[in-house]
Amino acid sequence: MSAPKKKNFQIEAFKHRVVVDPKYAEKTWKILEHAIHEIYNHNASGLSFEELYRNAYNMVLHKFGEKLYSGLVSTMTAHLKEIAKHIESTQGGLFLEELNRIWAEHNKALQMIRDILMYMDRTFIPSTHKTPVHELGLNLWRDNIIHSSKIHKRLQDTLLELVQRERTGEVINRGLMRNVIQMLMDLGSSVYQEDFEKPFLDVSADFYRLESQQYIECCDCGDYLKKAEKRLMEEIERVSHYLDTKSEPKLTNVVEKQMIESHMHRLVHMENSGLVNMIVNDKYEDLGRMYNLLRRVSTGLALIRDVMTSHIREIGKQLVTDPEKLKDPVDFVQRLLDEKDKHDKIISLAFNNDKTFQNALNSSFEFFINLNPRSPEFISLFVDDKLRKGLKGVTEEDVEIILDKVMMLFRYLQEKDVFEKYYKQHLAKRLLSGKTVSDDAERSLIVKLKTECGYQFTSKLEGMFTDMKTSQDTMQGFHAAVGADLAEGPSLTVQVLTTGSWPTQSVNTCNLPSEILGVCDRFKTYYLGTHTGRRLSWQTNMGTADLKATFGKGQKHELNVSTYQMCILMLFNKSDRMSYKEIEQATEIPASDLKRCLQSLACVKGKNVLRKEPMSKDIAEDDAFYFNDKFSSKFYKVKIGTVVAQKESEPEKQETRQRVEEDRKPQIEAAIVRIMKSRRVLDHNNIVAEVTKQLQSRFLPNPVVIKKRIESLIEREFLERDKTDRKLYRYLA
Amino acid sequence: MKKEDTVKLISREGFEFIIDKKAAMVSQTIRNMLTSPGSFAETEHGQVTFPEINTTILEKICQYFYWSLQYASGKETEFHIEPEITLELMMAANYLHT
Repeated sequence: MSAPKKKNFQIEAFKHRVVVDPKYAEKTWKILEHAIHEIYNHNASGLSFEELYRNAYNMVLHKFGEKLYSGLVSTMTAHLKEIAKHIESTQGGLFLEELNRIWAEHNKALQMIRDILMYMDRTFIPSTHKTPVHELGLNLWRDNIIHSSKIHKRLQDTLLELVQRERTGEVINRGLMRNVIQMLMDLGSSVYQEDFEKPFLDVSADFYRLESQQYIECCDCGDYLKKAEKRLMEEIERVSHYLDTKSEPKLTNVVEKQMIESHMHRLVHMENSGLVNMIVNDKYEDLGRMYNLLRRVSTGLALIRDVMTSHIREIGKQLVTDPEKLKDPVDFVQRLLDEKDKHDKIISLAFNNDKTFQNALNSSFEFFINLNPRSPEFISLFVDDKLRKGLKGVTEEDVEIILDKVMMLFRYLQEKDVFEKYYKQHLAKRLLSGKTVSDDAERSLIVKLKTECGYQFTSKLEGMFTDMKTSQDTMQGFHAAVGADLAEGPSLTVQVLTTGSWPTQSVNTCNLPSEILGVCDRFKTYYLGTHTGRRLSWQTNMGTADLKATFGKGQKHELNVSTYQMCILMLFNKSDRMSYKEIEQATEIPASDLKRCLQSLACVKGKNVLRKEPMSKDIAEDDAFYFNDKFSSKFYKVKIGTVVAQKESEPEKQETRQRVEEDRKPQIEAAIVRIMKSRRVLDHNNIVAEVTKQLQSRFLPNPVVIKKRIESLIEREFLERDKTDRKLYRYLA
Repeated sequence: MKKEDTVKLISREGFEFIIDKKAAMVSQTIRNMLTSPGSFAETEHGQVTFPEINTTILEKICQYFYWSLQYASGKETEFHIEPEITLELMMAANYLHT
């Protein structure tokens, strides 16, 4: 160690002692080969694991790995070939069981072999890129057993036959089935797919093609769907019991295709039991089943939706165009609501509240409600009816529900401004006659309309409520100021209405009786005294009056009548007989109103305070009227209604229509100006499109009308046509 | 200690070491010997003979098994190896796959 010179030490790589005996490898292999045979023959108990392991270890260590590996392959192959022969010779039904048993044995043996050759698995195989022992065993099994010409086909057929037998209702050994299928899966997914899954799917397709053909010939739609659902469940169950879970989508796809997709059109359109029938008869369960099954197929839901839509449209069309059903607007709207409820229920119970179905339902309703131009009027009448009498004894929540439903119908309307017009009229009548049942309900509906259509839509309606309120205060002030002077004469209640907010018409004021006129003048001076710069005009066509009358035998009654009727009755204070002409001259009530009033005074049984000559239902110009002395009634208060046309008569309808059209003009013009102000230059088609878009929340403007408005705006020099391109318009600031 | 829970390891010279199965299983090779599905002689008798490992090394190996268990359960101490047996110990470790 004390050498003066520097020495380079080199450490030699450690060398194993070289085995001199050339027969060493041969001998060792013989031991191992023998052991493998013993293992296959279930004689392993005599073997020493350590010894075998050590031998294999040494072989690999002494570079005989190649020999060991190839020896293993050939020994195992030889064994498997023998096993194959054994399996081939098994008889009929035992085939699968035998195969399964030997497979289990092979697996066990394979594991033992792998264990004793573990050192090879660990070092030799990765470095030489060979197949590990376990995988090698499986591959050899696959090539020698499963793919052996005699077994391959037989195995497939046996498996498929078992499935077929189970499908036809027999009980099979599912455990065995699962083991064998598991074997195929263990051999690699490609083995399972190629050797079993593919033929299995083909067979399944054939089976269900035939079966569905049979079913569809002899079953109605509901039954067929039940069967299809059952089959589908069975297949899913089958997968969970003994197939690879990855097969489930493929298998259900086959069933869906054969049983559902190829027959769905026929099913849905089936007469007497198809979709339409189910909807009509509220078969929620069947509908739900149909939805769930057809949902599995790509175009299934679209089909249901289309059929449902056209069915609803058909029904709706009948509903809104049937002249019989149009007679009673309340009933008409109720029918619409019922129809909507019915389908809502179907969608929520059977169609999983599917959004696309709801949309389809909505668009169908929108479609047919607007088929009838009177829908807005009828909906308003329905509300009117509900708010006048229908809400008595109904809880607040129910009121809300009804109003919400009405709002839903309202949403479907294209001509919302028409609805507004009618609603205003009906509301005015309700407010002025004090007939509205619940102020809360009225206001709640206004709020709903406001949220739906914005402030401007309801501002006038709200104005009406404000007027009612201020009128009350005014009346209190009036009575406090002059009440004492008027104690003798008739009492007067005035509602001061803002022009514009109310659907007032400029009517000629009729001649009021002098008693009333006096009070009216007092009010006028009082009112104008407190509010300067205003004008008052009397809307005698809208008022009501309570009269105390004494009849022939001294019986007293209080008559609740309209202002017009009051004027007529007051005339009979002076004389007992008046002709039609005389009444008309004295009161100057417009002819149509006068006739209506006289009709209700003289022709309604039990309320005929007047007598008419000659007796007939209708009022003629040369009729004469008498005070009816013999009038009697059980009640002290007698309410004499006017014979009101609930629905508008034809000319009135025309008039309303015209007014609506008239109202639309400024709105359209305003829209055009708004658009042009920001765009400066725009062509005709785009203007029409934009205007339509802006106004569609209120109504659908007619392109022809828009064109006229544009022309009018050009005339008034808001716009001009472009000099080169006549289709372009320019905004003139 | 029950017999099923222990295993007897025998060295080249015939020395017997009886240790916990749990400890012996630290070696992948011994684990395979004792758990292989077929019934090898070792599994049946609960003893393994190592004709190529001498007593000193086998003793060290047994010590290592116990040390390893402790180390795995969080007791991190050093395992001392005498330099003169290092090589043989490493070969045995390769053989036993520890």
